[in-house]
Amino acid sequence: MNPFYFGTRERRLFGLFTPSSAAKARSRAAVLCHPWGQEYIRAHRSMRRLAVRLNAAGFDVLRFDYYGSGDSSGETGEADLDGWRRDIETAIDELKDTTAATQVALVGLRLGATLAAQVAAKRRNDIERLALWDPVASGPAYLRELEEASPLGDADEAGRDMLGFTLTQAMARDLGALDLAASASALPARTLVVVTDAAPVPARWAAALEQRATGALAIESIAAEPAWLEHRDSGAGAIPVKVLQRLSEWLAS
Amino acid sequence: MMQVKEQAILLGARKSLVGVIAQAATRADADERPTIVILNSGIIHRIGPNRMGVALARVLAAAGHVVLRFDLSGIGDSDARTDSLQPLDAALADIKEALDALEAARGVRRVILLGLCSGADHAAIYGGSDPRVVGLVLLDPAIPPTRRYRLRYWMWRMRWLGGRLSSPRSTARLVSRLLRRDAADVDDEAQDIPMTPSLDSREVRDFLEQAYRRAIDSRLQMLAVFTAGRGDRHNYRTQMLEAFPNLRFGERLQLEYFDDSDHVFTSRANRARLTELLLGWIARTGFSDARERSGVSDVPADRLGEAGAHVVRGPVAE
Repeated sequence: MNPFYFGTRERRLFGLFTPSSAAKARSRAAVLCHPWGQEYIRAHRSMRRLAVRLNAAGFDVLRFDYYGSGDSSGETGEADLDGWRRDIETAIDELKDTTAATQVALVGLRLGATLAAQVAAKRRNDIERLALWDPVASGPAYLRELEEASPLGDADEAGRDMLGFTLTQAMARDLGALDLAASASALPARTLVVVTDAAPVPARWAAALEQRATGALAIESIAAEPAWLEHRDSGAGAIPVKVLQRLSEWLAS
Repeated sequence: MMQVKEQAILLGARKSLVGVIAQAATRADADERPTIVILNSGIIHRIGPNRMGVALARVLAAAGHVVLRFDLSGIGDSDARTDSLQPLDAALADIKEALDALEAARGVRRVILLGLCSGADHAAIYGGSDPRVVGLVLLDPAIPPTRRYRLRYWMWRMRWLGGRLSSPRSTARLVSRLLRRDAADVDDEAQDIPMTPSLDSREVRDFLEQAYRRAIDSRLQMLAVFTAGRGDRHNYRTQMLEAFPNLRFGERLQLEYFDDSDHVFTSRANRARLTELLLGWIARTGFSDARERSGVSDVPADRLGEAGAHVVRGPVAE
């Protein structure tokens, strides 16, 4: 296990690299993309468990924090989605530069899945396969969810507090424009979409996936607890073992 | 404010504890200010609830301290321990390993432990056992209920219910029964107050009293902050003094009560207030002094131990 900082001086990103624990000689590599804000905190242990499973399945794994989140540099109010997409690209480059892998698997949960999908559409040659776990398919719907979940927080020109995290005006704008249906056709052929009950899939997106010229993508439904919502006052999310199992089995296949 | 640098590290005998050290870019090696170690709250990883660990670490680092945030074993990114220690003992062992690592790698000999909720409890329990610990910052530590806590709780409850008690006489009867009760007794009528049951047991009271007694005997400086967000455990500023009537905290304990804060200081105003309070406490206790200090307490012995004496700081929240 190797905790470290990478990226540029202006944009230092915290990463946790865990090497493959499998007996196989040649490793594969995966980048895990976290959700935002409280969802990130609650899902943290699920993402760690996923990394452990992937290590056992022969993957070197890099988990990292976006700028302005987690242990990365930057304040919470300095986050923006363009920057976060670039951070995912930086993480992909880091993994390619430091392991034997020439391509990486990209895995994302919630907003992390959405951003991963957008990056995968852009960096096609670097992405071997893509796993989207309960992605945020519609930015406006996600914003509404956030607003419903948080009592009216402090707000000023810097942004608005959503459950202790600042949703900047830039992010709110970015989220408002977010629509996964737009990148459906550009997703890699090897893409898995897994949804649990807590994140219903907008019909538009399901249709866009089905109608891809490059081949229909199915959405797999797994009955499991949401990893990003608080489970029984524990402060953390549940760990949906069935989802972790499906993800690691598909990624390793 | 000085620019802050951060470094990721692995701590502990098996290099299994993940942490991040923050310090000011211009910090001098000879600076003797105590290192601040921020502990996990519950099972939230080292960034803290609402990323408050990161925010506090950066502010404290900019003020000249070296600050470590790390994950206890089995929490966040730290591996589980391989011995069979129970959770509390495991946490204490982890803290010792982290402090040992700081001492070995960086010559750290003075530490302030800072924690929220379970982190505060770990800090309080560990503090008096290690001579390297010179201060404690306790945010919503677990303290037993007192008579006044129950009274205030019931008053709040009665207001909230719109007065279930139908007459002034029945109210007076209930209040007088509450006041007559010894704070340490657990009795049937108090059972339906939904406070954490274990905090009211003789065993837990004695355990906590012993921990705080060790902290006092070790001459730790303490800042304890209580929020209205934990009304299930405390609801007034001086409850800690009344909960441990056998202890003489003296001037070493500064008590604060944030009457409009939730448990994790979510609002910007409360976060700002907490930060200001913390920096002020550090300055007042002399921990902001960069020069090397002797190990002896600078508070004259005759000022300690006055019956029930404590320092009143900040607005009194009633």
